[in-house]
Amino acid sequence: MKYRIREVGNLTLIDISGKLMGGCDADVFRDLIHELLERGRRQVIVNLGEVSWVNSTGVGILITGYTTLRKNNGDLKLLNVSNKIRSVLYVTKLNLIFECFDDEREAIGSFMG
Amino acid sequence: MAEENTIALEFPSSYQWLNMIDLVCGEVTAGMGFSNNALNEISISVIEACTNALEHGNKCCLDCNVRAVFRRLPDRVVIEVADCGQGFEFEDYLRHIPDPSDIEKKRGRGIYIMMAMMDALAYERMPEGGMKIILEKMIDGDGQRDE
Repeated sequence: MKYRIREVGNLTLIDISGKLMGGCDADVFRDLIHELLERGRRQVIVNLGEVSWVNSTGVGILITGYTTLRKNNGDLKLLNVSNKIRSVLYVTKLNLIFECFDDEREAIGSFMG
Repeated sequence: MAEENTIALEFPSSYQWLNMIDLVCGEVTAGMGFSNNALNEISISVIEACTNALEHGNKCCLDCNVRAVFRRLPDRVVIEVADCGQGFEFEDYLRHIPDPSDIEKKRGRGIYIMMAMMDALAYERMPEGGMKIILEKMIDGDGQRDE
C-alpha cells in the first residue's frame, strides 16, 4: 500500500494505491490516523480509486480507522470504491457503515452539510 | 480429469504473493464462461482463502508454504488452498457465525465472504497435518467461453 495526503480545509484526503491487505499496511494506516488526530484532523476521506483489491484484513484496517476517528468525534468516508471492493462491503453489510462516494466534490460536500 | 486442466503452486506465507495468486486465478478462470461478477467473486474468495491460510494457518511463518490448486472442470472451477497450521473446527464456526457488520471486530470476515460468494465451501484436515479449504464456483454461462 502506498498513500498520498491532501488537505482541503479541515478535511484530509488519503489517496491509497496498490493493495490493502494486511501485514505492515495495518501499522502504516493506524499510525497515519493517529498522526492526523494528533494534529486535530478528524474528518477523513479515503480515496480507493487506485486500489486494485482489498481483502478482509484490509477491510479490518479501514474499520479500525473508522472506529478510531468516530470515537474522537471524527468520521471516515470512502471515495471511488471499485465494484470488487464494493461487493465485499455489500456482502459484509459494511456498506451500511461506510458512506461511499464516486465524486470527490460530493464526498467533500458531505462533510459540510 | 485431464491434468492439463490443473494448476498447482506453492508460495511462502507472505502477503506479497497474494497478487500473484490473483493473477493466476484470473488466467485459470478466463474464458471458462464466468460472468464478470462471478470472476470478481472467485478472485475475492481465493484471496481470502490464501489470506486465511498464511495468516491464521501458517501464522505468517515464512518457512511454511501455502499450496493452491486450481482445477478447470467443464461446469465449474474448483480451488483448494492448504496450509500447515493446527486448523480449526469448521462446525464450531457454523454454529456461531460472527456478524460481519460488527465494527468492534477487526477480523473474522473471510469465511463469511467466501461462503457468500462461492457455490460450495468445505474444510478438510489433511492426514499429513494442516488444513485445506475447497471452493467451488459453477459457471453461470454469462461470460466469454474459449472454443
